[in-house]
Amino acid sequence: MRRNSIQNRLIASVLLSQALLTIGLAVTGVAYTYWRLLSTLDSGMQSHALRIGALVRYVDNSNGKVYFDDSLLPPPLDPERPDLFVVWASRSGLLFRSPGWPEGLELQPGEDLHWNLEYAGTPYHALRLTRVKILDRGEGRAFRPQTLTIIYASPTSHLRQQVKAAGAYIALISLGLMLLTLGLAFAGVRSGLRPLQTLASQAGLVSARNWELRIPSKVEQVEELRPLVEAMTQMLDRLRRSFELQRQFLASAAHELKTPVAVLKSTLQQTLQRPRNNEEYQLALEHSLEDLGRLEQLLLSMLRLARAEQWAEGALRRDLEEIDIASTLLEAMERAQPLAEAHHVRIDLAEAGALIFRADPEDLQTVWSNLLENAIRYSPEGSTIELKLGREADRLEVQVSDHGAGVPAKDLPHIFERFYRGDGSRTRGSGGFGLGLAIARALVEAYGGTIRAESEPGHGTRMTVTLPADRNPVAPPGEKTPDVAS
Amino acid sequence: MRVLIVEDESRLAENIARSLREIAGYAVDLAADGPQGLQLASRNAYDLIILDLMLPGFDGRQLLVQLREAGQQTPVLILTARDDKESLVTLLNSGADDYLTKPFDLGELLARAKVLIRRGKGQPSPLLTVGDLQINTVDHTVRRGERAITLTAMEYRVLEYLAHRSGAVVSKSELLEHLYDYNWEKFSNVIEVYISGLRRKLNDGKQRQLIHTLRNQGYTLQE
Repeated sequence: MRRNSIQNRLIASVLLSQALLTIGLAVTGVAYTYWRLLSTLDSGMQSHALRIGALVRYVDNSNGKVYFDDSLLPPPLDPERPDLFVVWASRSGLLFRSPGWPEGLELQPGEDLHWNLEYAGTPYHALRLTRVKILDRGEGRAFRPQTLTIIYASPTSHLRQQVKAAGAYIALISLGLMLLTLGLAFAGVRSGLRPLQTLASQAGLVSARNWELRIPSKVEQVEELRPLVEAMTQMLDRLRRSFELQRQFLASAAHELKTPVAVLKSTLQQTLQRPRNNEEYQLALEHSLEDLGRLEQLLLSMLRLARAEQWAEGALRRDLEEIDIASTLLEAMERAQPLAEAHHVRIDLAEAGALIFRADPEDLQTVWSNLLENAIRYSPEGSTIELKLGREADRLEVQVSDHGAGVPAKDLPHIFERFYRGDGSRTRGSGGFGLGLAIARALVEAYGGTIRAESEPGHGTRMTVTLPADRNPVAPPGEKTPDVAS
Repeated sequence: MRVLIVEDESRLAENIARSLREIAGYAVDLAADGPQGLQLASRNAYDLIILDLMLPGFDGRQLLVQLREAGQQTPVLILTARDDKESLVTLLNSGADDYLTKPFDLGELLARAKVLIRRGKGQPSPLLTVGDLQINTVDHTVRRGERAITLTAMEYRVLEYLAHRSGAVVSKSELLEHLYDYNWEKFSNVIEVYISGLRRKLNDGKQRQLIHTLRNQGYTLQE
């Protein structure tokens, strides 16, 4: 993967725009300077040309003949590279060429008024003035006055030097400014990105022991970081919840395992405390096996719960099929029959037609069995447990009602929590581990359903399982089933 | 010594009780829930109460608090599956004398039970001495001077109890109550038998008598 630096990219873009600006400024500046210098030169040349034109005079009484009075010619400004000029009169023709006129240079009045030429390595700017009036009035004025054509050329090498100097000056200043901008951009981007680093180091402090993501106010103020901060906070919340769930499960599982292990250990230790006869050893081994059996049951129940909770959290399942809910109810009833008979309790199923649902039949049977076992344990002898199955709009509903003592109001919100036992006992009376209802809830939620309990102390408890009728619980690959865990 | 075990896991309670009876020679009563435990504890004089925390009815901590509020001084050893510091500190502050976390070692439970009983009688050392009589409560051996004395299990239990309360007058019913579990009345005549046996074995000729009888009051062990 190519590494990409926001800082470098920002600075590069600042530099690029700065460079474009500089080049634009330099080109414009140089062009403007050149133009200004040239127009200054031009007007200077024009006035020079006119002053030269003023040196043309009429020859007295010659009927309009003219001559160039070079005695009044001003000395050249730059003796090294003197200006060049040539004067023509409209009738008399070529009147005068400037002194030092280079051998072989022919300048004829052409079309252009301004042009550049180069001669002997020296660049010149030239202009042509036409119809220049002769200032001398002459005597008598009986003739038609002549007009002058003047070509004036001035070397432009110094002008080029000036433009170059101006260009260099602008470039130097721009370079300095660019360096300054670079520094400012660097500092600006660094300080602009600092909240990101603060956020990163704060995020680095988050651990399983410390879930709090402390967002300094300087980070919170940054508009661009807000979506990131929000997403991080939410992600941490979800992670913490799931982690808490796992941790609690582990803690309570370890806690619950301690008692059966203590029983088994005490049985073995007590037996080994002194020599015993064969019957005593036999009894001790039988007891140990019973203890171990209970431990195994507990472990299996915990495993079932952990799996069901994973499904409820959205783990994928592939072993689903279209099944009839009524048949799973009948199966569960059959399984619960021995326990019901032992408690002298009758189970009554209100007949209902086939209700098709997509599920693993074993899961649904487990749910019904757990609800039934729970109901049987809390039912008085000779009473009846009612099973009802119905369909309402887009919901399937299964109800298990008993006529037992009911659940005290303070326990009702907790009965679906794992290892919860209302009377504070582990084993007496209920005979379970406090996992049956928790497993039932996790399984129902894994299918997108809900389970709720209503109870009236003295009159019994009614458990209602609601399953979504139209929902296909098989998540397509890559898509998580909606989070149904509360 | 007589011990009450309040524990709803019947197999565990049975195992502890058997161990206390067989190895330490204590009398043991069992209670399976909070109310029954409280009833037994307030009716009988126990030398130690072993208390589970998770109980039906009301839990072990409530039972402990009620006992202590009623002025009961009996040492209490708590059995708990929780091993976090806070809950253990809370327990000790509620009046528990010691605790064991499940799963525990039966040998350790026995050792701690002995320590608690000794301390409950104001005897911090496992070696009880009355004059030249020495009773080792760890291995249950008895010496008088240089001479080792062999006692039956019941004789030892009577002597150990008297030694714990040495100097005080112990009535016959107190002895019975601490040596037998709840059906102690039917043993009322055997105490005299044990006492005379003890006197015979401890004396062996010219040494001074250590067990004295106070008519209509009971017995006392002193020089």
